[in-house]
Amino acid sequence: MYRALSESVSPAQPRPAGYPHGVPPLLALEGVSKYFPGVVANENVSLAFYPGEIHALLGENGAGKSTLMNIVTGLYRPDRGELVLDGYGVSFDGPDAAIAAGIGMVHQHFKLVPRFTIAENLALGRRDMRGILSRRKLVAFARREAEKYGFAFDVEARVETLSAPEQQRVEIVRVLGRGARLLILDEPTAVLGPSEVSELYAALRRFRADGGAVILISHKLEEIMALADRVTVLRRGRVVATHLAGSLSPQALVAEMIGHAPVEALPAPEPLAVDPDRETISLRDVTMRDESGRLRVHPVSCDIFRGEIFGIGGVTGNGQVALAEMLAGLRHPDTGRILVAGQDMTGRPVAAFVEMGIGYVPQDRLRQALAPALGATENAALRVFRTPPVGGRFLWNEDAATRYARLLIDEAGIALADPSRPVRGLSGGNQQRLVLARESRIASRFLVACYPGRGLDLGAMETMRSALVALRNTGRGVVLVSEDLDELLALSDRIAVMSGGQVKAILGRGEATREDIGALMSGHGSGSR
Amino acid sequence: MRGEGRQMAVISFRRIVIARMIAIGIVFLLVAAGIYGLGLDPGMVGRLVVTSTFGTRFGLENLALYMTPLLLTGAAVWLALRAGLWNIGAEGQFLAGASAAAAIGLSGGANPALAGSPAAFMSSSLTLVLAMTASFLAGALWSALPAAGRAWLGVSEIITTLLMNFIALYMVYALVTGPWADKVTGAQMSSARIEVVLPAFAGAVHCGWPIALLAVAMLALLFRRSRFSYCLALCGSNPEAARYAGIDVGRHVFVTLLLSGGIAGIGGMIEVFGTVHRLQGGLANGYGYLGIVVALLARKSALALVPAALLMAIILNAGIVLQTVQVSASAVLAMTGLLVFAIAVADDYAAWSRSGRAS
Repeated sequence: MYRALSESVSPAQPRPAGYPHGVPPLLALEGVSKYFPGVVANENVSLAFYPGEIHALLGENGAGKSTLMNIVTGLYRPDRGELVLDGYGVSFDGPDAAIAAGIGMVHQHFKLVPRFTIAENLALGRRDMRGILSRRKLVAFARREAEKYGFAFDVEARVETLSAPEQQRVEIVRVLGRGARLLILDEPTAVLGPSEVSELYAALRRFRADGGAVILISHKLEEIMALADRVTVLRRGRVVATHLAGSLSPQALVAEMIGHAPVEALPAPEPLAVDPDRETISLRDVTMRDESGRLRVHPVSCDIFRGEIFGIGGVTGNGQVALAEMLAGLRHPDTGRILVAGQDMTGRPVAAFVEMGIGYVPQDRLRQALAPALGATENAALRVFRTPPVGGRFLWNEDAATRYARLLIDEAGIALADPSRPVRGLSGGNQQRLVLARESRIASRFLVACYPGRGLDLGAMETMRSALVALRNTGRGVVLVSEDLDELLALSDRIAVMSGGQVKAILGRGEATREDIGALMSGHGSGSR
Repeated sequence: MRGEGRQMAVISFRRIVIARMIAIGIVFLLVAAGIYGLGLDPGMVGRLVVTSTFGTRFGLENLALYMTPLLLTGAAVWLALRAGLWNIGAEGQFLAGASAAAAIGLSGGANPALAGSPAAFMSSSLTLVLAMTASFLAGALWSALPAAGRAWLGVSEIITTLLMNFIALYMVYALVTGPWADKVTGAQMSSARIEVVLPAFAGAVHCGWPIALLAVAMLALLFRRSRFSYCLALCGSNPEAARYAGIDVGRHVFVTLLLSGGIAGIGGMIEVFGTVHRLQGGLANGYGYLGIVVALLARKSALALVPAALLMAIILNAGIVLQTVQVSASAVLAMTGLLVFAIAVADDYAAWSRSGRAS
């Protein structure tokens, strides 16, 4: 059953420039929805990918990109809507079916066998390379494959000896070699240096020229501007819009990505009388590299005061979390110093930061902030077990810990009869309430909170925000890392905008408009300190 | 069916007990069927096992002697499991501890002329204390390499502790056929007799049995009242959160595996000085591996190590009885395997509730 798809795709979506009418897209999604318990991962997503185009998908973490790609590659089945391949409705029973249909994905974490050679990896799962293979045959095959896609490999090198960019090339050749016509790349330049990026671009353009379609998942606006023909912005599982790439500025894209929700009834705190002798957390030229040696935080210097909410904004992955973890003592700067209330805390253990009264709400509560298999009692004591009444140098007082847990549970407003029950049984919202209550009690000086609104419903969000404001009003300092611009604008006394590991600007209340911040987040524009 | 139900976050004690009773019942039925298949009367064999284990003083004493090493290797494995670590090397640590203790015991040598005098008592007490200390250190040392690998390099302790067992086994073989070979009686694969012995507790049962029980009780106390146990639980449950709590996960992993090895090592000393009185090739008798079973049976409670060790002791005793009716000694291994399998399934099923009464 052939249907004219150019009509069925929502009219808001422009076809790629110069594309002939009447040819169906290689793959179209029509009204695709996917739900998980309590979460709308995708809702009514309609998108078309045409042969000969590079289509970028842009969206914050949790915008639904991954779920959508899992549907396209046959890992999930949509709860509603359908996939249309070359004009015919299809349903993928599994990843095999998607691969057979010519859909291939280059994952952020490569799916190669590290101990196998390049040639062996390329031959893996190939129908034409079954049975007993001589080494010569294998090598000849691999060379042929590499050449076909314009790469040169030492095909007998073992994959584990290759650099990340080389592995990525092998992965691409492998996916293409299995007959992919639609190539999906997830953050492909995250592991690449500048020269390798241009090589990748060239390869993708070649693939496009031969009639292939590319889906490019990326946070990087320059990348999208340089490479993509069309851009689709996703937010909260839905398509915001699809644009021809040339038609929109990076600032406009960021604005779309982070949303235009009206600045409504967020509790805008009253400004406090400023006391110049307030205690601070002071960063002095701190830098930090990640495990692979890339600079995640460029020299940053700033003072964060007690009695203010210091917002940190930016597109995800621009160094905000690394900065927050340094403030809480979870990571140490490679250079530079951290002072808390005048005391040098550089390189001190986490426990010392807790003792100084710095609470920390990590971004991933279940993985980082809680031990899911342990009870609320153990989790309530997680960062205070060193000190009486719960503990001491050697002791652990179960009764005191239970009392402490009950106190926190009451404060957090969680309905929980038995604190010994594992916290994984709590709802996501309650887990976050527990963490926030625990860390607020620790925070006699400062609370550092990473994305505290994630996964909260509206009511809980309201409570969380009031709690942050209450901390500030009682003279504690709050560092709020958030992807929600409205939240930042409403709550923060000052907002630091990060891009590429740098603090681009620190803007006071009223100095910052959405547009300014959007421009700073996208790495463009400049602000005054 | 299973998809309909929900996995419960907390499994009640009652559910576990019921599920395990069913599992053990099924194992007994299977063993009975096996015995029947061998042309024996399961009823007769069963009566024989029960009467010879519980009906005689010798049987009861034997149970206590079997329990002693099992309690200690079980405690060793159990302790590591609190931190989410699998010490498969209790067997080797047991042998390392036994060897170190034997070295002390063989070098001392009681002077027959002083027998019964206070000086002899002092000297043998000193030997025992030294031997116990040495066995603890040797067991800890035997797990130090796997412990360091796991703590700081991320090398799986399951593989390395297991491999250390073979090194320990052949080290013991080398010792008892070489430098320490018994030249008096010419016994194969055995050292000379060690004259210092653990004092008797009751009948043939030496005081290693109360010592092992005491060790388990101390472990239970430690895990109710210490900050260390809390840190271990955190490391085992979520290392990422442990780091966030300011716990040095690597150091805790290292110390735990060392302690675990030390406890197994003491088991070796008690076996040498209490039961066997020699270092022998087959000394460990699989106690290290059975300790894994004991620890799994005990789940989260240290005190549950006692009934768990008792159950394993009964099975070992049953194995001897079965041999007297011409059933292969390997039957014990088969029974243990069946039991572990059945218990694992039972525990999992106990966690599932069809009505979805999950917390």
